[in-house]
Amino acid sequence: MDSLNKLWLSTGLANFESGQVIMMIVGCLLLYLAIARKFEPLLLLPMGFGAILTNIPLAGFSEVGGLLHFIYYAGIDTGIFPLIIFMGVGAMTDFGALIANPKTLLLGAAAQFGIFATLFGAIALNAVPGIEFTLKDASAIAIIGGADGPTAIFLASKLAPELLGAIAVAAYSYMALVPIIQPPIMRALTTDKERKIEMAQLRHVTKIEKIVFPLGVLLMTIFFLPSATPLVGMFCLGNLMRECGVVDRLSSTAQNELINITTIFLGLGVGSKLSAEAFLNVETLGILGLGAVAFSIGTASGVLMAKLMNKLSSTPINPLIGAAGVSAVPMAARVANKVGLEANPHNFLLMHAMGPNVAGVLGSAVAAGILLALVG
Amino acid sequence: MEHLNHLFVEAGTLMLAGMVFVFTFLSLMIVFINVVLKRLAIKFPDAVIQVKPARSNQKIRQNVDGISPKVVAAITSAVTQYRKQHNQNSSTHKTK
Repeated sequence: MDSLNKLWLSTGLANFESGQVIMMIVGCLLLYLAIARKFEPLLLLPMGFGAILTNIPLAGFSEVGGLLHFIYYAGIDTGIFPLIIFMGVGAMTDFGALIANPKTLLLGAAAQFGIFATLFGAIALNAVPGIEFTLKDASAIAIIGGADGPTAIFLASKLAPELLGAIAVAAYSYMALVPIIQPPIMRALTTDKERKIEMAQLRHVTKIEKIVFPLGVLLMTIFFLPSATPLVGMFCLGNLMRECGVVDRLSSTAQNELINITTIFLGLGVGSKLSAEAFLNVETLGILGLGAVAFSIGTASGVLMAKLMNKLSSTPINPLIGAAGVSAVPMAARVANKVGLEANPHNFLLMHAMGPNVAGVLGSAVAAGILLALVG
Repeated sequence: MEHLNHLFVEAGTLMLAGMVFVFTFLSLMIVFINVVLKRLAIKFPDAVIQVKPARSNQKIRQNVDGISPKVVAAITSAVTQYRKQHNQNSSTHKTK
């Protein structure tokens, strides 16, 4: 009888706590979103599975010595995984559209207003009982508005590791929801005539420009914002590997195998932070709400900036491409293209929107550097 | 409440400083692209690209004028054949 009792006590059924069950359901929800709805499946799938693993009673995945514990501390706490992913993203990014139309950098800058406005919102949420965000927490939450997963994870791991799970879930969920969140805002802020604006064809960008660009960006970051050099530096390394044309093998590895392997571990590591005590609280609700606000404000400020530039510039600028300034490459650019095509079936904005899109990546990395320098 | 006000002031300062810095940084990048990269592009033009437009131009011209030899040959033979048939038909009509 005693051994039977012992056996029962060693089963999961006897040891489940309600919080763990709820978090496993959250994990299953993430799996559903990844598999059935195809919401950022590459990250949400390992993240959802990590959430299930970390909440298994007695298995100790996230306790000291557990697999997920090691993955988290080796890759996320140190910031290595998001940086490797950033290198891969750099290797996948073509700055041609941006170099051909450098004005679009301003759109990438304007869209970062979403980050800083959300910082305000996060502090304002302190008025709600049960929520207590410090300036560090608020900064980590605000970076969701950068619509850049690796940047959000990198900053959250440095400024507010206890909020990392919720921040990563919010960031990736909203990135997947870009095609739903952005179009109504874009339509509300532009007239039909503005959406129909056709833009001048982009000039050809030479190889030497594409090679020197990442080096120039790195040099400027070294001079003006060294705290952003981990992100910008890895990004530029990846981009240089892509553009120089002599290390195709490395470039291919960075944008395929390496980024894929890292994504698996990054997802699992973030999932390990989805424990009941860290996730099931009012703060998580606040973070999810703020994430949506951050995305919306970023989109709106990008579109408004593009409208202003269209008024002042000698060459026409379709305000829709401003929405791509939130980064979320290449989804936001595709959305701008789609909304543009609805208004004018002959107007292909994709290449024009790629400019502000990649500018948004740089902009959010710079914003992250500023937050690290001033708050970290 | 005072603590919250203090946080608001800090967040406001951060917002102002952050946006100014992001804009300045990315504006400097615009200057960098317009000054340095454009000059580099003029000094070191793409060798491959210089050839490409010429080729594509030729192609476009060919397409526009329809002077691709194969196409011309096909159309010529088709027209000749059609005329032959048409002439034969009309001549038969006439004789009838």
